[in-house]
Amino acid sequence: MSRYVALLGWMLATVALAAEEPAEHAAKHVPPGKLQAVVEETEEPPQDTAGYILHHVLDSETLAFQVPLRDKEFKYRFPVWRIPLKAGACPANVHEKASLGAGCLDLSLTKMSAMLVLATVVLVLVFLLGTRKQEGGLVPRGRLANFLEMMVVFVRNEIAIPNIGKEEGPRYVPYLLTVFFFILTINLLGLFPWMSSATGNIAVTGALAAITFVLTQVASIRSAGFLGYLKHLTGGVPVFLWPIMIPVEVLGLFTKPFALTLRLFANMLAGHIVLFCLIGLIFFIGHIAVAAVAVPLGMAIYFLELFVAFLQAYIFTMLSSLFIGMGVAMGHHPEAHEAEGTHPPAAH
Amino acid sequence: MPLLLAETSFLEVRPGLIFWTLVTFVLAALVLRRVAWGPIVARVDEREKTIQAAIDAAKHERAEAEKLLGEQKAAIAQARREAGEMVRKNAEDVERLRADLLAKARAQAEELKADAKRSIEDEKAKAVAEVKGVVADLAIQIAEKLLGENLDADKQRKLAQQYLDSLGRPSSTRPS
Repeated sequence: MSRYVALLGWMLATVALAAEEPAEHAAKHVPPGKLQAVVEETEEPPQDTAGYILHHVLDSETLAFQVPLRDKEFKYRFPVWRIPLKAGACPANVHEKASLGAGCLDLSLTKMSAMLVLATVVLVLVFLLGTRKQEGGLVPRGRLANFLEMMVVFVRNEIAIPNIGKEEGPRYVPYLLTVFFFILTINLLGLFPWMSSATGNIAVTGALAAITFVLTQVASIRSAGFLGYLKHLTGGVPVFLWPIMIPVEVLGLFTKPFALTLRLFANMLAGHIVLFCLIGLIFFIGHIAVAAVAVPLGMAIYFLELFVAFLQAYIFTMLSSLFIGMGVAMGHHPEAHEAEGTHPPAAH
Repeated sequence: MPLLLAETSFLEVRPGLIFWTLVTFVLAALVLRRVAWGPIVARVDEREKTIQAAIDAAKHERAEAEKLLGEQKAAIAQARREAGEMVRKNAEDVERLRADLLAKARAQAEELKADAKRSIEDEKAKAVAEVKGVVADLAIQIAEKLLGENLDADKQRKLAQQYLDSLGRPSSTRPS
């Protein structure tokens, strides 16, 4: 984690320094698309190097596909879908930013949401492919089917059951499996050309962590009862200490999903920025010889990212099951959770 | 750096993206639950059960086979022991029979020898008696010749017989 932060800082500094140098081709603002979805061709892609990198890791209203070896880029602007929570809150110009604070809910599809949908489709297709033609008895057949089955059994037997327990564990296995494969697919999708990792966006990881948060609370209330759940929030201390204890406990509830959110987000974003920075060095320095260093290094980071894609999916799932398991344990071990509940989990 | 921070923020949270994340996640969860987790977990469970059953059956059969093997081994040992006993008994029987036969043969031989001895004694006695009679007749005839036939035949015979009988007695009674 700290390694990533250091790398991220270094790369950001590199990007910033490069960006401050006067660019020969000033960044041309791409003419905004029309209101409907259109596919347009622009002859000149943006030349701003810092923007070039960030363009790949940040969300955007458009999908851009660059044609290799030609200065061409296909752009697709997603249709706008804005819901005004207050009359006239949404700006009439679709290129103006809609702000939720002003009362406009912007639900337009974006690059990252498109990646989410694509990842879901890919995931479902892979599983349809991996589970078909299994009528031939119980003998496992096919590498894909075996691999998927191995992963499924791993999540169930090595993550869910040990952390949540044999009785309650199977109930949460579908969620943990979905979250594992969902994150894994999104992570891996970012390693393909033209694609990006939606898990490098804090909104996505936040939403996923929120689901874990809700499930953790549901597990706690299911096992301890609503009153037991509330009682747990007092930490079992005398009443005069409640004003101190209750905020600490509530904070403890929220630190877990917060840690989940930041860990996944920062890991995926950092890896991609490092990768883009290494390749971007060629263009910053502007000499082809840099590629001799940058490309092998970039490849090493690419393989590291491949590993991190699995690792972070595993960690998110692992910690989710740990938190759910703690919620489940709330009702089962009344003497143990007092000590455990007062401290936020140390498993960061 | 100001340019970077002004243009972008990594921490920008788009409500739309949260919405789409939740929608796609829930859809993925529902579809995968139906398409993947259910069938895969069911199959894995079933396979586990089948394998467990097969292992249990194999263990049971192995135990059974071992038991049978033990029984057969015991039976073979028993048979071997019985055969050995039988052989020993046969040898004893043969030995006893041989001894019996030998003893019988020896007894018969003894008997035959005794018989032979007895008949030899008899024949000897008979032969002696016969020789005695012949000798008496010869003596009488000799004496008749010598005495001139004065004595009548019965008296002479008696005399000769007496003489001959005294021949069989101890030497003290024998006339000199």
